Formats: sequence, structure tokens, C-alpha cells
Amino acid sequence: MLKGFAMSNLLALLMVGLIKYTIIPNDGTLVFSIFVIVPILMGIVSSWFWIKIELKSKALIGYSILNGLLAILLSYVFLGEGTICLLIVSPLIFIFIISGVFLGQSMFRKNNQRLNVSVCALLFVVFVVDSLSEHNYVNLVADEMVIKATPEQIWKNVVAFDKIEKKDDYWLFQIGMPSPSQTTVEGYYKGAGRKCIFSNGYTFDEKIVTYEPNKDLTFDIIGQPLDPEIMGHIDILRGQFLLKDNGNGTTTLTGNSWYRLHVFPVWYYDIWAKSITRNVHLRVMEHIKELSEKR
Amino acid sequence: MKKDSLFSFVVRHLSFLKHVPLFSHVFDSLLKFRVFLTKPYLLDWFDEIEAEVMQWEGTAVGLHRYGGIQFNRKGKEIGHLHSNGLLDVLYTKEIKVRLLKEGRVQPHHIFEKSGWISFYIFSPEDKNYAKELLKMAYDARKTTQ
Repeated sequence: MLKGFAMSNLLALLMVGLIKYTIIPNDGTLVFSIFVIVPILMGIVSSWFWIKIELKSKALIGYSILNGLLAILLSYVFLGEGTICLLIVSPLIFIFIISGVFLGQSMFRKNNQRLNVSVCALLFVVFVVDSLSEHNYVNLVADEMVIKATPEQIWKNVVAFDKIEKKDDYWLFQIGMPSPSQTTVEGYYKGAGRKCIFSNGYTFDEKIVTYEPNKDLTFDIIGQPLDPEIMGHIDILRGQFLLKDNGNGTTTLTGNSWYRLHVFPVWYYDIWAKSITRNVHLRVMEHIKELSEKR
Repeated sequence: MKKDSLFSFVVRHLSFLKHVPLFSHVFDSLLKFRVFLTKPYLLDWFDEIEAEVMQWEGTAVGLHRYGGIQFNRKGKEIGHLHSNGLLDVLYTKEIKVRLLKEGRVQPHHIFEKSGWISFYIFSPEDKNYAKELLKMAYDARKTTQ
């Protein structure tokens, strides 16, 4: 029983270590194989040890979840990952370990060594090819909000604003993910420095690259905080606020953010990246709306 | 028969993903994970059904290509059980018509006009009926093969 846990986690440590510390040139990107192929192989390896004791399905799934928790704990200790990151990654790990366990069970019941070796070799080849491939994913999240104020009344609140006092209503912010809190600016001109301060005190350093009063504020992110929740996983590249006068005393405020993901698969992590970015936008834009409509 | 909305959505709208290697198997694992958290007793019933089928001569189990466990008799499929408790069994058209008249089973969730039927397992009675359905298909196959 314990061998199943030990050997599968040892395999995972070796494979992740292979990517992070050895032969494969890597810019810190966590490729899809780490979250898909490695857990499947972990499941297959543990199944090899567990099949002899003929566990029921319920026990197999329970032990797979336990195995996933162990892998997550090891990631926390050895890779220094943040707790919210690990919470986000855990469904992937659980599902793919369970897949691997039942795949392994089906393979080993057939007792066909050629099949067993072929499946494991194929998964390993996918792991190596994926690790050696270039990964580059940049995306934009855009949100709009109508504010009952003119662009002139809104503009000053877009460039900088005081502390947001409103309670967080996004569940990830409520459980500890830092939320945007305040923005300060060095001056009201192109090239001025800007700081976006988060609830835990971490700061994004920004530089204004487009300054068109009452229309367009675009800023590049020139310094990210060294927060384990985002470090090496996502780079926020650029932010933008666009104001459009609707001609009826209201203004459409558009918030855009560009980011680069360093964690794959995109079909999973981009859901989270979009959701988090959207909720950062909404918190800031709702604050701008409140300030501007108060007058 | 109460349907599983997640399963129905994926089958109806994301069926193209079945061509992605291992997708069906991974989706079935997601269903297993959900059942483990919400109705773990179903997993024991699935094991019981599998153990029963394996007692019949010439049977074997494997992974179904669209996810779940597949029951075979002498290499030919008699049915498969998805991990949300949906059992699909193959009969001749005549047997299917008779079973539909009895009212406990439904036409297959995708191939409505084929000999396949679908049956959701919710209760211990359903579990026993699922065994009967598989035995019926097994016996029918025995006489035709």
C-alpha cells in the first residue's frame, strides 16, 4: 500500500525535477505534462502496487485523492508554491491521478507487458516533447461598465484612487488572494510612474505609456511583486482604461488587461486567469464608478 | 428518468472531444470523483455489478472507449456502465421494444433508434435491475453466438 504512495510521488519528484533543474532548458514554465502526464503516470504506478491487494473502487479513489494531497504537500515544501495556487491545481491533480489509477488497473488486469511498456513509454515521450516545446500564451481580458458621469468627472479617479473600503465579494479574494486596494501616481503625464497596491501590501510598479485625458490611460507593468501565488505563473503585461462619452451624461468605461501565462494547459488555467483578472477589473471599476457618481 | 445534466451537456455539445486521446476516460474519472464526493455508495454498487458479471462464463471487463467500464462476452460488448450510474445495454430490437414497454428503461441517450437502451442507477432496486438487464443481454448473446 505505502509503496504505491511512495513510488508514485518519487516518480513525480524525479519528472518535475528533470524539467526544473536538469537537462531541459526552461524559463520556469510549468508545462501541461506536469499537471496531466505526471499525475496519470503517478496513478498508473500506484495502481501497479495496489492491484495486488484488490481494492474496491471507493478505496482506489480515496487513496488517489490522498496521493494527490501528498503530491500537493510536496509541491508546497519543495517548490514553494502558494496555497491558493495549490488549491487551484488540486482538481487537475486529483482527476488525472484517478484516471491513471483506473487506466493502470485496466492495463495490469490484461497482464500484457508489451501494452504496459508501450503506454508508459508513450506518456513519457509526450512528457519530453511537451517539455522541449516552446510555450507562449498571451491573452486580453476586457470589461465594460457604464458610469453616470462625464469622462471629465471620471478621469481623475481612473488615474489614481484612494483605498477601496468595500469588502471583497469574490471567493478567491475572501480566502486570501490579494485584491486591488489603492492606486497612486507620480504625476499626470505620459511616462509617469504608477503603483497598484494590493490588500497584502504587494505592489505592481507601472509606467504610463499613453496619457490622453478623458479618453485613454494605458500603462505597462514594469515590476511585479514576488508573491508565490503569481511568481512564475502569470505576468501582467499591460493595463488600460478607455473612456467613451455616450452623449447622455453617461460614460462607458472599458478596462483591459494583457497577461502572459506560464502555466499550462491553457484550457484549464486560462479559466482561472480570466476569472481573477475580471474580478480585479470589477473591483477597481466599481470603485471608480462609486467615486465618480458620488461627485 | 432524471438525467445527469453535466453528462448530457458534454455528450450533446462537447462530443467532438471524444477524439482527443484519453478525454472520455478523464471525463469518466471526473464523474467518479463527483460520485465519490456525493454518492459514494454508487461506487460499491458498480463494483458489485462488475463482480456479478465477471462470474458469468466467458465475460471480461475493460475500459469503454467513451468512458466507463465495458462488459464483454467472448470479446463482444454486451453493455457499459458510465461512472454517473448510467448503464447502456445492447439488445435486439424486439427485446428493446419489450423493455421499453415495461417502462423502466429509456432509448439510448444518443443512439435512440438502435438496439441500445439506457438505464440510470439510483436505488438498490435499480442496481438489481441493472444486473438483470446485463444478464438478459448476456443470455441473448449466448443464444445468438
